[in-house]
Amino acid sequence: MPPQIIRLVLLTIGIVCVYFTARYFLVPPSFGQYGHYRANALQDIASRQPFWAGKASCVECHPDHARKLAAAEHKTLSCETCHGPGRAHVVNPVEKLPKLNMSLCVRCHQASPSRPKWLHQINVHNHYTGSVCTECHVPHQPNEVP
Amino acid sequence: MSDNITRRGVLKSLAGIVGGILAMPAARTCKAAVQNVFAIAPAPKGYDPFKHKWLMALDVDRCIGCGLCVEACCEENGVPEGHFRTWIERYVITQPKAGSGEMRGETIVDSPDGGKEGFPESLIPKEDILKSFFVPKMCNLCENSPCTQVCPVGATFDAPDGAVLIDKNYCIGCGFCVQACPYGCRFFNPITHTADKCTLCYHRITRGLKPACVEICPSQARIFGDLKNPVPDDPLQRFRSTNKVETLKQYLGTGPRVLYAGLDEEVR
Repeated sequence: MPPQIIRLVLLTIGIVCVYFTARYFLVPPSFGQYGHYRANALQDIASRQPFWAGKASCVECHPDHARKLAAAEHKTLSCETCHGPGRAHVVNPVEKLPKLNMSLCVRCHQASPSRPKWLHQINVHNHYTGSVCTECHVPHQPNEVP
Repeated sequence: MSDNITRRGVLKSLAGIVGGILAMPAARTCKAAVQNVFAIAPAPKGYDPFKHKWLMALDVDRCIGCGLCVEACCEENGVPEGHFRTWIERYVITQPKAGSGEMRGETIVDSPDGGKEGFPESLIPKEDILKSFFVPKMCNLCENSPCTQVCPVGATFDAPDGAVLIDKNYCIGCGFCVQACPYGCRFFNPITHTADKCTLCYHRITRGLKPACVEICPSQARIFGDLKNPVPDDPLQRFRSTNKVETLKQYLGTGPRVLYAGLDEEVR
């Protein structure tokens, strides 16, 4: 074989060897197990801790509130929708949740032409001059009068 | 032949073999060190991605535009200020001009801060509005996701359970996927310097919780379920059977899986 061909063959073998060595070192484990990605990434992404505790954990200790809520108009609401993030309270019940104010009610019930017709809407300025919705409404049973 | 076997030759090849054997553990340690970069963090046990198929459905007629879902998502996922994994758009369609022969006037879409703080009153006077509604937007969980196809390193992928995820350890931050998504659902995270998007709250759904936006939505405008494990009176199946459903931008052939009910022609 002419020497220039031998040199070329050796060079090609060298390049292929370098490629496979680099591949051996650089491809992370589990790459290609499910597809062209790292299968372990699924676990990485799933490993974060949740922020919102979820309604189920509230119901565990407060089944009475949950029962009342389930019978009234606000049944579709999660506890944390109004009461805010409850994880700290779930972990340590001594941690109290913050007091709620009127802005929360208004956030959903302020009248707007963009809101669907089925929603009870009020114009805050004509509806009431005070600042405590709970004077007339019970948030857990919106149909009842306190 | 016997001329070729010299003492020098034999010693050389022996040294080569010994050297190779000695180098093996070093190579292994080296490889382990490289791969430690991709260490596996503890994740919920017993979750098999092949046994689930997640899907989200959005009901436009139920959305009241309170923006609590956007806020919940940002808090759950530490989404940087000014970026959104889910957001709400307000569509305002004005009355047609008298004598113009049109059915409707202009369509104005706004989403102040993604709807995170709710929506201020529209600047368009009430009597000029023909129709107005809110549309929640998020990752459309495409069947043939363009964002996955353009990734040059395999950092973003369609998980077997239907979520489209990003491997942040592997993403090089080139931003191709951000441009590829026709729904604008991806953004470049200035903190991690990687692409970022809705993960369907993967860390929640693998633990049996609902995604943050679904959990917090007060009006059940967002419906979430598992197609492979339907529960009795499955909300997702009910949504499918009681509504005429549509998906966004079907003509692009991306195969969006997120279902919408009550979409107007104007929604893009």
